[in-house]
Amino acid sequence: MLFTGIDIGGTNTDIAIVDGDVLTRKVPNDAGLRGALDSIDVRGRLAVSTSQPLNRLIAAPPASVYAITIPGPGLPSPGSVAGMVNHRGDILEEIDPAAIRTALAEHAAEYLAICGKFSVRNPTLEEQVRAIALSFYPPERIATSHGLARLGFPARRVTTEVNARILEIVAAMARTISGYAQDFLFFKGDAGLASAGAVLRDPSVLFNSSPAAVALGARYLTGCSGCLVVDIGGTTTDLVPLREGAPCMQDVRIDGNTAFIRSVQAESIPFGGDSVIEAHLCPRREGNPMAFGGMCPTLTDALNRCGASIGDAARSAHLDPDRAAQAIRAYVSRIAAGVRASGAKTVVGAGFLADHLIPEIGREAGVRCIIPDHAACMNAIGVAVSRVSLSLDVHVDTGRRRVIVNGEPAPLRQEMDDDELIAWCKEEVRQRALGMGAPEEDVAEVSLAYFSAYDVVRSGRRNERIADLQVEIEPGITVDAK
Amino acid sequence: MTTGIVYHPAFLTHEQHPLHPERRERLAYTDDQLTEEGLWEDPRILRLHPRPAAREELARVHDERYLDFLEQSSTTGGVIDLDTLIPPGLFAQARLAAGGALVAGESVMAGTVRNAFAMVRPPGHHAGTCSGAGFCYVNNIAVMVQALKGRGCEKILILDWDAHHGNGTQEIFYGDPDVLFTSIHQSPFYPGTGDATEIGAGKGTGYTINMPVPAGSSDEVYQYLLAEVIAPVAAEFNPDFIAVSAGQDNHFTDPLTGLALTAGGYASMMAFAVELADRLCAGRLAAVLEGGYSVEGGLPYTTIGIIAALAGMDLSGIRDPSSYEPLFRRAFNPHALDHVQETVGLLRRVHGSFWRCLS
Repeated sequence: MLFTGIDIGGTNTDIAIVDGDVLTRKVPNDAGLRGALDSIDVRGRLAVSTSQPLNRLIAAPPASVYAITIPGPGLPSPGSVAGMVNHRGDILEEIDPAAIRTALAEHAAEYLAICGKFSVRNPTLEEQVRAIALSFYPPERIATSHGLARLGFPARRVTTEVNARILEIVAAMARTISGYAQDFLFFKGDAGLASAGAVLRDPSVLFNSSPAAVALGARYLTGCSGCLVVDIGGTTTDLVPLREGAPCMQDVRIDGNTAFIRSVQAESIPFGGDSVIEAHLCPRREGNPMAFGGMCPTLTDALNRCGASIGDAARSAHLDPDRAAQAIRAYVSRIAAGVRASGAKTVVGAGFLADHLIPEIGREAGVRCIIPDHAACMNAIGVAVSRVSLSLDVHVDTGRRRVIVNGEPAPLRQEMDDDELIAWCKEEVRQRALGMGAPEEDVAEVSLAYFSAYDVVRSGRRNERIADLQVEIEPGITVDAK
Repeated sequence: MTTGIVYHPAFLTHEQHPLHPERRERLAYTDDQLTEEGLWEDPRILRLHPRPAAREELARVHDERYLDFLEQSSTTGGVIDLDTLIPPGLFAQARLAAGGALVAGESVMAGTVRNAFAMVRPPGHHAGTCSGAGFCYVNNIAVMVQALKGRGCEKILILDWDAHHGNGTQEIFYGDPDVLFTSIHQSPFYPGTGDATEIGAGKGTGYTINMPVPAGSSDEVYQYLLAEVIAPVAAEFNPDFIAVSAGQDNHFTDPLTGLALTAGGYASMMAFAVELADRLCAGRLAAVLEGGYSVEGGLPYTTIGIIAALAGMDLSGIRDPSSYEPLFRRAFNPHALDHVQETVGLLRRVHGSFWRCLS
């Protein structure tokens, strides 16, 4: 089996082709996604990590997003309109279409987020608002919240606003990539893969996928299950802990608010190979290093002044050698402090400059260093060898004859006891993962992350049952690449 | 400062039997509502974890022989009355509920939280010194109040607004002048006690104030009693701590009672209690859940109202679904306020010699 992984970084797009052997290539971002895809013969399974452009978009000055909310009774919410879905998924108050048209006309914005309380139990009202909004916004600039599947209206609202901002760009990327490989997969922030169809329902899953990619790549290339991956990029250096063979997950907060976005735990230090040197090493990038045609001296140029031969090393000659040595010392010292603080005993170096900087960082921090072959493209390798990860949030209400799977209603075809329900959900998640192209061995293990069920008693009779459960296939390295 | 909520999934596990009104389903929809509102992630809310109350903490309220009976019956199952069966494992669940109330009180006193709500099951206010009744086994709020007295609170005001009279709590503190027990409850109704003329005994005479209200009493009745009786008496008593038996069975959709309080009414009542605590005792207030059986139609909205008021959140959206309006009309008694005004006249007569503000 042949696996192709693409990671769009801050400066370059890395490509890895894994087929027993590993082949890697770097393409400048100037060439665009098409340029990267045109540079290879896309065969086998294609997986793409796109977090850098999305990170930039999310970190950019706030785009104008208008959030229409349907809070119903309870805590109020900005942008609220009439309508109410209750905890059983019953619509107790209808929306007012005329009021919504007026609100949409009065609030001009680039993107629209629609979020109703308990929409994950019944998406009808959100869909009705969306249908009205289509007269005001293009479909790819509207996001709804029910596909996020989990209860937690404020976090869904924050996440839906993120999705409204990135849906269009993700959809455009998906169209471009599918022109090269119809069944390509996106690499997510949880270190797993998902189909474009699944990602377009919640594009926030792509957020911050680079640390996840490098963690998986380090695991694949070194077999190391407990270490700190030090990924030296152009703009930042990321420290990513790996414990028991997997990166650690954390909840993402957007502007101080909880969002339904998980990503790999990583410390991002704002210095990298493209960091500018003025009087001292500065935490910013102003284009390429001089050795790669840039105008300002950088950490990369400093390495050239101290004996390295990176790019057109002669162009780095303008940099004062003492200042170069001082900048390297400052960088090594800053990163070594981060390594020491992590408590790691082993560092795995990643990134284009790993060979030049990791040994010194290791010495200063007093830890063992590993710099595997292909360290420069470790992210893309992680993307190439990862596997489909998928979770299903299921709510079953026998009284309403309703099953909701990841926020989408489905008919309740038959009564099931708890064991049968769990088995059905596990099979459903397995089938969905297989549908995304996962091999049988990757979906053999489905875990039950959550289960709760109780009887509904009315008039002294127990004739209904409500159950909530979450089943998941966890991320990891695909069995076919092991 | 934050509002503490004591809650644990173990509170859902207690069931006398699967069809009992005080069953597992009772808090399930409320849990959904709180989760959907994002309360557990809200920086104004701190989730507190209960601990099992120690036997000696229970023994400050309950007779040792009663506790022995509960503990022994809990191994195989037993019966207190037809409403109050003892399922196997009950004693551990009752200790956890009482411990939840203790954690609420302790956290407020320690300054970990500004105020707290113990969302516990099983409830407690019908449990007396030697007896359980009315779905109650251990008197959670009494266990908390006795513990608070050992932690520097000399005078404690209990405000019990459950639809049923808190006969257990009244009995426990009937002779205690350091605990002012006040109760607003439907009458005539279970358990049959709580007449305005029950005023305490011995040194505790005057420290029990019962405000029976007729069926159909709604928000304005409660607001009237809070303003006319509770506020002035509380100011005169000048408590160090306010403990609220926050039953939620006064809601107009409750199937076991006949009152007509709304979700907004609950929020207003709790906002009143919070303001009272701010004024009299540096905000020290802990509420403990008692009854409330409109599990699907009422509790999700009343509970969010109570918590929002405790946390000083915006109450403008606290209301019942508009489709409930016919149910409210059926429950509402337009003559209840007149009736209660007469009751307050009686209260002034029986309590006038104990409370200057009522004379």
